[in-house]
Amino acid sequence: MNVTINEDGAKALVKLEGRLDTTNADQFMKDITPLMNGAHEEIDVDCTDMEYTSSQGLRMFLMLQKNVSARGAKLVLRNMKPHVKEVFDITGFSHIITIV
Amino acid sequence: MNLKKNFASRLSLRVMLVTAGLMFTVTLLSALFAAATVMREADTVAEKVLDNAILEIEQVITEVERAVDNVDWMVEQHLNDEEFLFTVTRELVQSNPNVIGSAVAFEPGYFKGRPYFAPYSYEGDESHEIHSLQMGNEQYDYPTLDWYQIPKLLGRPYWSEPYYDDGGAGQRMSTYSMPLKDGDGQLIGILTADISLDWLSERVASIKPYENSYTLLIGRNGSYIAHPDPNKVLNETIFTSALEMTDTTAMRIGREMIAGHRGMEMFLNDNEESFMVYGPLSNGWSMGVVCTYKDIYHNVNVVIVILAFLLLIGLVALFFGIRSLIRKQTMPVVEFSNSAMTIAKGNFNARIPEVKSKDELKKLRDSLAYMQQSINEYIVELKSTTAANERYESELNIARDIQMSLLPQNFPQRDDCSLHAMVQPAKEVGGDLYDFIEVGDSIFFMVGDVSGKGVPAALFMAIARAAFRFIGSLGLSMAEVMGRVNNCLCDGNKNEMFVTIFAGHLDLKTGEMRFCNAGHNPIVIVGPDGKASFLRAKSNLPVGLFENFPYEDETIVVERGSRLVIYTDGVTEAEREDKSQFGEDRLLEWAGKLNPSVSSTSAVLDLYAHVKNFTRGADQNDDITIMSLLMK
Repeated sequence: MNVTINEDGAKALVKLEGRLDTTNADQFMKDITPLMNGAHEEIDVDCTDMEYTSSQGLRMFLMLQKNVSARGAKLVLRNMKPHVKEVFDITGFSHIITIV
Repeated sequence: MNLKKNFASRLSLRVMLVTAGLMFTVTLLSALFAAATVMREADTVAEKVLDNAILEIEQVITEVERAVDNVDWMVEQHLNDEEFLFTVTRELVQSNPNVIGSAVAFEPGYFKGRPYFAPYSYEGDESHEIHSLQMGNEQYDYPTLDWYQIPKLLGRPYWSEPYYDDGGAGQRMSTYSMPLKDGDGQLIGILTADISLDWLSERVASIKPYENSYTLLIGRNGSYIAHPDPNKVLNETIFTSALEMTDTTAMRIGREMIAGHRGMEMFLNDNEESFMVYGPLSNGWSMGVVCTYKDIYHNVNVVIVILAFLLLIGLVALFFGIRSLIRKQTMPVVEFSNSAMTIAKGNFNARIPEVKSKDELKKLRDSLAYMQQSINEYIVELKSTTAANERYESELNIARDIQMSLLPQNFPQRDDCSLHAMVQPAKEVGGDLYDFIEVGDSIFFMVGDVSGKGVPAALFMAIARAAFRFIGSLGLSMAEVMGRVNNCLCDGNKNEMFVTIFAGHLDLKTGEMRFCNAGHNPIVIVGPDGKASFLRAKSNLPVGLFENFPYEDETIVVERGSRLVIYTDGVTEAEREDKSQFGEDRLLEWAGKLNPSVSSTSAVLDLYAHVKNFTRGADQNDDITIMSLLMK
């Protein structure tokens, strides 16, 4: 899993690449900590090159979503591959996280 | 004794080799120096010998000359006394051991008108008796001989070239001739004294500074007067000898000698490296001492052999001396090695020998002692860590037993259904769970998957299982059950843990099933005809995330003979080394090929075997749960 964060004013542009599974979930958590502690109004995540997410990964997205909601900001996941999107759909996560 | 394996021997050998090299060089230089000295000395020795030899021969010559001088005046006063003349020659031979013959030879016609008159006395070759005779006659025409004619012409005393005298003595000789003159200074005859060349040769032959040296004496024209080879005397000259040699130096030496020079010259004498010292005698003869370098080298060689022998003894002594010294000095190392070996064998308190010196050995000893101490400390630490690990492991095993006992193992034994389930955690404990409750002719069942795995997941699984078992038994709708379980798990869930759950309530008489899928994988339904498909349900959020989330349930009718396969993502996401996953397609393919009437136990084990076969021994990365419910 490779996480790249670029800032564009109040907007954070995040790019995710590779697999998000149990083995690297902790690292992923550390990688997105700046987003949790930051004051971005919008977090835009590019999921074009994201290959897989485990339930552990879903939990990370959930924590980020709850954090963002608490301070009235916005989280958007973009260009998700169909088989990854399916995981979000099955688990009902697409109900609480904006995926476009 | 293996020289290479023994440190002391190896070091000694090296020291010895270096020393040997140095000593060899020193010896070589000494030998060269000695050789140069011996050479120089050889020249000196040879010259001294030459001087002595010349002196000795000069003495002989002088004695002969003096003896002749002494009788000269007597002869001149008794020129007509025949008797007296015989006596004079006789006396001369008798009183001079060097003189073997003497004559007074008169000019033809001078003595009483006789054509030949020469009273002659000589010493017999063997008897040493003195014989006298008058030697002049027609056969022995002495006035024509060298010993007579040359001094007569020169008008002064003369030593003849060597010749063989057949007038009386009959041996090789050289003659000293002195002209006799009358009152007017007119030559009237020759007074002679002979010396034996055989005797001279013997004397000269005894003069030799070295074993293979020899001394020679040549006359004015180079003919040999004395030579160790008696055949050469009279028969050869130094020049005829030189002609046979390749080295022309001999020829030059010959010329130098007859010119009456003194000198030293190196040359190849019959291909033998030699040198010759030579010097003139007062009578025009020349003497030479020939020495071979072989003799001189021999002396040097003796010195070298002695030196080499001493060197060898010295080296051997050095080798043993150094070796014993090194052994003594390095003895502590051997003891340290033994101590280290004892420590290595597990006796960590082995005694390390004390060292009194404050050198490298002391350092080594301290290092060894430090190592020993460190090992002991490390072992204490290791023991406590191991104990902690063992405790942790045994606690985990207990936890696993407890967790497994939470999952019901007494599957329903009914005619109208067959139910079986299994959980295979990825670690000792896991977050997957299943449960079922028989309620009359209906069966209530669920499969859940806690996010994450290991101890945190296991704890959350235990809570979820307890909540579900209690709330599920209340006879509520599936949506209500899920909602209550959700609220129960949301309470105090700071870590955002959640559980995906598929739960269903199947009426075994009618086939009606109410179910709710809370974020769980779609279950597989295999119809009585063996056709398999996923049950696409409304998606609800996993439980534990948002309090009061409105869970929705649905109802379908399950045809008799159908089988439900409920599983966790540990099945579909089971991975090989190459990261490819078992996937939903393989799951569906497996379900489609399954014998529809096979027992649930067989179905569960068969699917698990399929998954394991797919992963080919790769590490299991998530808990695997499989449940099969066959409605008969």
